[in-house]
Amino acid sequence: MIAEDLVIEKGVTGGDQWVTVPAERIREALLALKGDGFRLLVFLTCVDHLVDSSREFPARYEVVYQLRDLEKPTDLRVRAFIDGDPPRIDSVHDIFPPANWEERETYDMFGIVFTGHPGLTRILMPDDWVGHPLRRDYPVGGEVVEFSEEHKIWQTAPEEA
Amino acid sequence: MGVEELVASLGDNILTTTLGKLIGWGRGNSVWPAQFGLACCAIEMIATATAGVDIARFGSEAFRASPRQSDLMIVSGRVSQKMAPILRTVYDQMPEPKWVISMGACASTGGVFNNYALLQGVDKIVPVDVYIPGCPPRPEDLLNALMILQERIKAQGIIPLP
Amino acid sequence: MSTIESPGVTISRTGEKGAFGGELLTVNFGPHHPSTHGVLRLIVDLDGEQIKRVQPVIGYLHTGIEKQMEALRWQQGVVVTDRHDYLSPPINNLAYALAVEKLMGVEVPSRANALRVIMSELTRLSSHLVWMGTSGLELGAMSMLMYCFRERDTIMDLNEEISGFRMHTSYIRPGGVFADATPRFLEMLDKFIREMPAHVDEYEDLLTMNPIWRSRTIGIGRLSPEDAKVLGASGPMIRGSGVAWDLRKSIPYSGYEDYDFEIAVSNDCDCYGRYLVRIKEMREAVKILRQALDRLPDGPVNVDDRKMLPPPREELETSMEAVIHHFKLFTEGYSVPAGDAYVAVESGRGENGCYIVSDGTHKPRRVKFRSASFVNLQALERMALNHMIADMIAIIGTADTVLGDCDR
Repeated sequence: MIAEDLVIEKGVTGGDQWVTVPAERIREALLALKGDGFRLLVFLTCVDHLVDSSREFPARYEVVYQLRDLEKPTDLRVRAFIDGDPPRIDSVHDIFPPANWEERETYDMFGIVFTGHPGLTRILMPDDWVGHPLRRDYPVGGEVVEFSEEHKIWQTAPEEA
Repeated sequence: MGVEELVASLGDNILTTTLGKLIGWGRGNSVWPAQFGLACCAIEMIATATAGVDIARFGSEAFRASPRQSDLMIVSGRVSQKMAPILRTVYDQMPEPKWVISMGACASTGGVFNNYALLQGVDKIVPVDVYIPGCPPRPEDLLNALMILQERIKAQGIIPLP
Repeated sequence: MSTIESPGVTISRTGEKGAFGGELLTVNFGPHHPSTHGVLRLIVDLDGEQIKRVQPVIGYLHTGIEKQMEALRWQQGVVVTDRHDYLSPPINNLAYALAVEKLMGVEVPSRANALRVIMSELTRLSSHLVWMGTSGLELGAMSMLMYCFRERDTIMDLNEEISGFRMHTSYIRPGGVFADATPRFLEMLDKFIREMPAHVDEYEDLLTMNPIWRSRTIGIGRLSPEDAKVLGASGPMIRGSGVAWDLRKSIPYSGYEDYDFEIAVSNDCDCYGRYLVRIKEMREAVKILRQALDRLPDGPVNVDDRKMLPPPREELETSMEAVIHHFKLFTEGYSVPAGDAYVAVESGRGENGCYIVSDGTHKPRRVKFRSASFVNLQALERMALNHMIADMIAIIGTADTVLGDCDR
């Protein structure tokens, strides 16, 4: 079982099991879980909690890993909260090969630097794009649509997200 | 190219009018599209080429893979920021005379998606002759657009040299 | 060693001797290519005709769907989910609808579940038909395109009958489905189910024992079961390598546990095996459709929750609460309780999932689509090594990537 000191918090939301681990020890935690049988990384992504008043979050960026044990089958969500400019976390591409491209996409969209990744470059946006589109302070962009009630909100960076 | 020069050397008379009609008829009835299927509209474009709808009876038998052998570019699908320079390059590689049909809402105006990642209409980088609304438009809509374009080509006849 | 720097991608002409004494040649399978199933760019290093290295470059169809959904309300987002994996729109809708319902804690009625299963299986058929038509076209069997799209047209007619749209139906929505099936739809579906097995037999006649098809697909694109599991492949990519993993059986949803069907598995581990898996899946889809149609339960098709779905128009004349609910739903939209949820469904390509994060308001905070094509494409290099360049087409075809799904 995953060591007790690695688990900051755990719970169940809507039937999904999740566990929060410290971001500096993410590799240790994921290796322990892989040893437990969670050998498939289903997806890896990030959520930006800028100006989210529904709850208290330890940090702005929450990196989410969904692991699956194919034998049972059960799912487990692992979270790690990071901050910083740029936010950094260890790469897990050697533990779970599908993480290779997922980490590149998370870097492209959120600017999170995965230390130890073999080739952390943009994957979806053009290579000379400036900015990280899925951050909450990046405007949705596009064209202003007259008489649409939200065109002012869409095209400018939200202060209140 | 060679035809326009020949006609310019003949001057303005009844011979060139009939020749113009003949050329327009020839060009209009054999419009060869370049394959430029990008997204969902591409599937409906392929469906237009299949037996139920059959674009081949309008002369567009061969969807050429190489832009150098085609005269129509059907932009079918959404054009992202990364794809835009490539679309312009392919358009530039097509020899004159060339036409562009912008198929679907995303190619015409950005469609459902009004955001950073898409060109809000392909007419921002290439000149468009016919727009087809729809998401995706029916295969018959593409045929309708082709017929509109054919009438325009036939009416144009000889395209004057610049 | 000379390197050519193109922005973001480094291609090295290593100068090492290939097997026949020459250098490695770098070829660009550009995004504008007739056979790459969409705008996929591959940078291939060749030694003569043998593939030594494959680097996929994606992003040419990046649509910003995840950002777009943060700007739309929960019920408006359904329209956008259709368009990411554009060969199977109802299945994307289903993943999103199930995730929202999981967070809201609602259960849809059984008639809605049956209709959802019907639409999913019809879509699976349509997706495999497009795959087979275009793969046949690329490998030279041009008539496959005509045959397969004939059946797909019937499925499009069915889609149009039930939802008004041919392709992007937006039929499956959080809370149920768009509208009940008309009697004409049920008739058309019955006719389709009766005729489809003969058509699948026709396709098998054309391809399965065809010596050209076999020589172009047997032994090509091998992916061992261990590699498939390690690389996270799903769908026919993993079932064609002998691993019997199908989300409809392992983590069932929408009542799939009540239907009697088999998982299509092949031990061949190559392109031919995956072709056999897809043919079998088409037959099983027809079986499921027959069971769903025969057992279609009566009842409502939407959950009876006024906080989520608008009241019927007749009620607006008599009830004030109905008017208020109607107003709130059509201006602000419903709010989903704070939290996050992930639901995965089995699409024609594999595991397509939707992860939503809600902060309790009427718009999502984050919607992430777990895309089967994105993960399956990482296996491309493993499958293509040491094959000939002409086999690259067969391998890209067998992966059945949809670039809209990959790039979102």
